[in-house]
Amino acid sequence: MRKALAALAVVGGALPLAARASAPVAARASRTVGVRDEGRLRFVADNATQIIDEGHVSGTLPGTARVDFTYNGSPTVTARFVIRAAGGSLYGRATCRLSNPTSPMPSFRGALAITGGSGRYSRAHGSGELFGVFHRRGYALVVQAIGRLRD
Amino acid sequence: MTARGRSALLAWTALLIAGLVAAIAAPLAEGAQTATLDVKFSPERLGAPTAISFGFEIKAVGGGLPSALSGIDFHYPSDFGLGTSGLGVAACSPATLSERGPKACPRNSIMGAGSAIARFQVSPEISEETANLALVAGPSRGGYIDLLISATGISPIAARVVMAGLLLPGRLRFSVPLVPGVPEGPDVAVVRVKATIGGNLTYYESRHNKRVAYHPTGVLLPRHCPHGGFRFNATFSFVDGTQAQASTVVRCLR
Repeated sequence: MRKALAALAVVGGALPLAARASAPVAARASRTVGVRDEGRLRFVADNATQIIDEGHVSGTLPGTARVDFTYNGSPTVTARFVIRAAGGSLYGRATCRLSNPTSPMPSFRGALAITGGSGRYSRAHGSGELFGVFHRRGYALVVQAIGRLRD
Repeated sequence: MTARGRSALLAWTALLIAGLVAAIAAPLAEGAQTATLDVKFSPERLGAPTAISFGFEIKAVGGGLPSALSGIDFHYPSDFGLGTSGLGVAACSPATLSERGPKACPRNSIMGAGSAIARFQVSPEISEETANLALVAGPSRGGYIDLLISATGISPIAARVVMAGLLLPGRLRFSVPLVPGVPEGPDVAVVRVKATIGGNLTYYESRHNKRVAYHPTGVLLPRHCPHGGFRFNATFSFVDGTQAQASTVVRCLR
């Protein structure tokens, strides 16, 4: 049975936590928001080098996330993700470096970019860092990201 | 352009093409060895995990003992899920593999098995030896999966050699160590190899403080087949400085 577990976190410190939790990111005035989200995703599908996981995320932007993770044997792995939060969605991608590929759970780390969104996040963009663990047995992912979101 | 001009252009074009063909074909024609390559999937189902069996055969042009193999550069479709196969979730050190064999390696490092036939000259006759192959994950170099192949022969010569390979996207590259033959004689020549990545392997994981056996997924095949099928090719390098190339196509699965 293939199970996937993933956590996605975007961490920052531009606003106080209370403000972060309540602020609609894509408000009229441009602003920078530090965000932190975490979640657990389950394996959904694969296409050879591509693993797709979905699940709930919690934190500053709670909702659901879908991660499209590609690992073709190169230590450079990529992840495209969508976070569906209240009022809209955020789209992003990350390019990471995978370490220790012959362990059951190699870790990876790299730069992420928020490339756009919809709804209240339609003008969102940002950057940060993505951390994670890839469970080679069952294709689980544990992912953590650090960055800032601007609208 | 006049008819004469067209004729001259055609002649030059023909000469140019002939020259290019000769330049491309020359290194292959000069090789003292020929090689054939064979690849199979089991099961043959797009989008499913599979075991990949590959085999190659090397012959000396004109018969006799081929030159010893020094390297293999094997190309496979880069969208094959070798990295996502779940194979090789532990590593075995080359020293352990070389000194004590694959049975001394972690079970979760075993990625496949096979056999090889090597020939060597005991003047004036050519003798043959069959070796068992084990494909084993080695310690990673630079984040890539290191694939080690141990070849263990029992009779007539008890010997083990370990080949170090690197799993790159769409490419497997091996260096083959020399195995000296009898004194003053040619090196031992590998003439045939059959090996499978994946297959009937048993791994173990810890679950609720218990050691639980499971079968690793295997190589994930893409959901779509490229036009003409999945192409594989290999370049074999030999001690005599020549190379031989071989290619094969696995037709699109239904």
